Amino acid sequence: MIWLALTLLAPFGAGVAILALRRAPAAVAIAGAALGLAGALGLFASMTRGERIGAGLPFLPDFPISLEATPLTATLALLVATVTTAVLIHAAGYMARDPERVRFFGTMALFVAAMELLVLAGDWITLLAAWEMIGFSSYLLIGFWHGRPGVAGAALRAFLYTRSADLGLYLAVFLLIGRAGTSDIAATLDVTGTPALIAGLLLLVAAAGKSAQLPFQEWLLRAMAGPTPVSALLHSATLVAAGAILLIRTAPMLPEGVLVAVGLVGGATAVVTGLMALAERDLKRLLAASTASQYGFMLIAIAAGAPVAALLHLIAHAAIKSALFLGAGVFQHDRESTALEALAGAGRARPGIFAGFALAALALAGLPPMAAWFSKEAILTASWASPLAPWLMPSALAGALISAAYMGRALRVLWAGSAERAKAPVPFMAAGLWGLAALAATLGAAFGPLEALLGAAIAEGPRFLPLLGLAAAAGGLVLGWTLPPDRLLGPLFRQAETGFGIARALEALSTRPVLALAEAVERLETAVLSGILASGRAGLALAGAARRIDRDAIDGAIFALVDRLWGFGQRLRRLQSGLIHRELALSMIGIALLVAVLLIAPLSS
Amino acid sequence: MPLLTIATLLPLVAGLGLMALPARSNGMAHAVSISATGATFLLALAIWARGTDPGGFAQLEEAAWIPAIGAAWRLGVDGLSLPLVLLTGLLFFLSAIYSVRITERPATYVVLMLLLETASLGTFMALDGLLFYVFFEVSLVGMYFMIAGWGHEDRQRAALMFFLYTLLGSLPLLLAIIGLYLGSGTFDMRAWTQAPPLTGPAAMLALVAMLFTFAVKTPVLPFHTWLPAAHVQAPTAGSVILAGVMLKFGTYGLVRFSFEMLPDAFAAAAPAVLAFGVVSAIYGALAALAQSDLKKMIAYTSVNHMGYVVIGVAVAALATGPLVRATALDGATLQMVSHGVVTGALFFLVGMLQDRAHSRAMGDFGGLLGRVPWLGWGFIVAAFASLGLPGLAHFPAEFQIFLATFGTRPWGTVALVGIVVTAALYLRAIAAVFLGPANDRWAAMPDLDRHERLVIGLLLALIVLIGVMPGVMLDMIHRTMSGLVG
Repeated sequence: MIWLALTLLAPFGAGVAILALRRAPAAVAIAGAALGLAGALGLFASMTRGERIGAGLPFLPDFPISLEATPLTATLALLVATVTTAVLIHAAGYMARDPERVRFFGTMALFVAAMELLVLAGDWITLLAAWEMIGFSSYLLIGFWHGRPGVAGAALRAFLYTRSADLGLYLAVFLLIGRAGTSDIAATLDVTGTPALIAGLLLLVAAAGKSAQLPFQEWLLRAMAGPTPVSALLHSATLVAAGAILLIRTAPMLPEGVLVAVGLVGGATAVVTGLMALAERDLKRLLAASTASQYGFMLIAIAAGAPVAALLHLIAHAAIKSALFLGAGVFQHDRESTALEALAGAGRARPGIFAGFALAALALAGLPPMAAWFSKEAILTASWASPLAPWLMPSALAGALISAAYMGRALRVLWAGSAERAKAPVPFMAAGLWGLAALAATLGAAFGPLEALLGAAIAEGPRFLPLLGLAAAAGGLVLGWTLPPDRLLGPLFRQAETGFGIARALEALSTRPVLALAEAVERLETAVLSGILASGRAGLALAGAARRIDRDAIDGAIFALVDRLWGFGQRLRRLQSGLIHRELALSMIGIALLVAVLLIAPLSS
Repeated sequence: MPLLTIATLLPLVAGLGLMALPARSNGMAHAVSISATGATFLLALAIWARGTDPGGFAQLEEAAWIPAIGAAWRLGVDGLSLPLVLLTGLLFFLSAIYSVRITERPATYVVLMLLLETASLGTFMALDGLLFYVFFEVSLVGMYFMIAGWGHEDRQRAALMFFLYTLLGSLPLLLAIIGLYLGSGTFDMRAWTQAPPLTGPAAMLALVAMLFTFAVKTPVLPFHTWLPAAHVQAPTAGSVILAGVMLKFGTYGLVRFSFEMLPDAFAAAAPAVLAFGVVSAIYGALAALAQSDLKKMIAYTSVNHMGYVVIGVAVAALATGPLVRATALDGATLQMVSHGVVTGALFFLVGMLQDRAHSRAMGDFGGLLGRVPWLGWGFIVAAFASLGLPGLAHFPAEFQIFLATFGTRPWGTVALVGIVVTAALYLRAIAAVFLGPANDRWAAMPDLDRHERLVIGLLLALIVLIGVMPGVMLDMIHRTMSGLVG
């Protein structure tokens, strides 16, 4: 219980304290994150001892909210807390000179609390609530530099894309609660048949939105408008991870039909967004496209029936991608740009940072013995054994090859070129980066025990699979290092540069019709309004004629009555409008009529 | 002590007292206004502290009025009316605080506001059909003066619209009430709910008549046209009261009269009511999306949010299981409260912006967040509450409504697209007004002062409280609703 509370409340308390006290934001945020990490470690340790921890609170009648720590959720909580701590240490350096650090660290801490709430949710209402809250806090973080042009649009897009997809989660939750009669997640996973199929597909829509899978990938690329530590956090263990986490948690429920759809989306995303990463001209956008591609891998694993492989890749990717972003942040500080052209040689100017970046890049490419090597291996093995192998295997292999290629290209750009203009040392940023890079390199060793803890071992595959994976990684790195992307991709290059037109098609199919509909509604409103006003004037003209006739008779009598009843009627009459007199007169007539009817009715019966 | 009667009449008496004073300074008028509404709010809290009964109405107060026809001064509260009484007390109190800036005929303004408060409280607490109708009518008259006297540039036209709809809208309800009286021989609403007096075609006729009145008031498409016009022209406090309190007359009547007193006819008509609610919710969101005037935009989102209430009430009549029916009514009632608090905050904020800039057009602003952070962050939080962000007031209500809808008439959940459209329109408004490069034109704009911070701070605190602990309202609502559907 105490660990659960600490994991959640430490970052939350830190966020509130920062916003309320407005002092030492970085230190308070790091302290909150460290306390949260201690809580998550305690939680994880309890899991290894076989304990199960839960807590409930009242919320809606019949639907309390609950938190639960299981080996899976405690692992995720630990991952979130670890990455957060490293990123916040880095951010202490990165944001050192920003005048709005209070708002930055306050929002970051609250965001982390919402993410911990999401991974530890024991019921659907908590999960849905946390799901939307991380959307809101990432909106605030992406829009952090709100005064700069383009930032508001990026934040708006991020929230709107994901919220549209969230409709899937809402409907799935309604369906599952309706079927199971409870909002407890574990209990609803027993749903089978058509409801499970529909719910699964709806969950896939929501997950695709959050995890930037096709066709929703566009918001993630634009989200680069935020500060780089934000990207490091959103792209690794948090926001984007929520989609994959949702599918991993619900995997026991997903029927065959949903797995096919998950595989189609994941496979296509792994390849298509990989190609987009390869064609990118901006380091942060390259890393963003790569994130979408790597989450495609996780969906492949889920489709292959091996959610544990997806979890391993989620963990590996979280450490790797946050390290890469933190490295990119240092280079961005040096060159005040993230365009690849401007970054040429930035790595050579800072060999220490570059080494950390390169370590993470090679890990992402899938070189042994680093973390992603094991997780990609597990994904390939599961894909091979799956009935969907004819689709999953080629997309996983192609995705792996492309991942290695774009990382090779990034390394080449950062290393080649002029190496002047190295600035002062960056101890905080370096510490954050190296902490994560070290994890990226060594986490693989922890995967065996973790599988044992989760009770889900990965079966052995045929001997040639590791070789195939190694060939893809090495081949991709060499290709990316030696060939420029336009030569490497050939005719595909132009397509990949424009994102294969997916984002434009999506907006043409959704945004524009809605806006057109809204315009039509507005025209209708205007027309109806003027129609009513015209008929109103006609009615008033008629009434005016009638009024001249009975003004002296009826009105006079009634106003004498009104004046006597309400002394202050005199004062009200000073108001300029004459319409109200008629209203009052009619009301009085109405009441008189009513009284007459009521008096006569009992008499006649 | 007859707290209900005291709370209802206190504002009116204070207003009459103010009129009776020979000399009235601006300061004195506002002091009377704040102390009367503040005392009334405290009385509402005291009524809340006394609690409700699970089985029916609590804290009954009766006095003879017109014994010949069975009409009496009957007041009482239950889990449907008490949350609305609290909301009314709070919003009038905050409006009084905000209105200290009014210098144009302040005494008359204050008297009208106090008259409106008496009428609103009376409408929610009356347990006598005739008394209900009188309060209902008086409130409309009060609001008419409010718009015509203290409105903005085009107030005559808006007042005309309001007048036309008022006249047409409320007469059918009177006929329905007479029908209920003729069927039972009393105006006691408790008798009407315990033993619904009308059946068959008579019940359906009465239902159609009252649905018309409530549809105008709520408002439901296609009777909503008066709302944007009235809201845009009304003074800020008028908009807050109109949206926060008076729109609830329609949905309160929908539950109290249509659902409770004509249960069979309402169940038969419920599919149509549901359809109206769904279309209204979507249409309101789309119309709001097309606006560039902030106040008009928020006015249209009321059509959207009140559409959800109508959906909830219709679903409660359509569902078979008592659990689902109670969930739908819980959600509908909580949504009324949430809408009052959230939209009240939004109208206050837009009013405060208009006080400073004399403009409501989104395109005139830009980058204000850095200039007026209190105003900006207040608007952002209220806007996200309005678009249904969890942790804020609308989420629990809308979740319950849609959960019940999905289990009863799954097609009704198409209204869920409303939450995406409202997200789009609020984000667009935030981006246009508060984000982006700062507009030099507003470089000297002052942030919220002490009074304004108090008003907004209280409302935002309440928005968070209801979002995080909906039980503060839902416990009492649920107790009544479970009894109602059991």
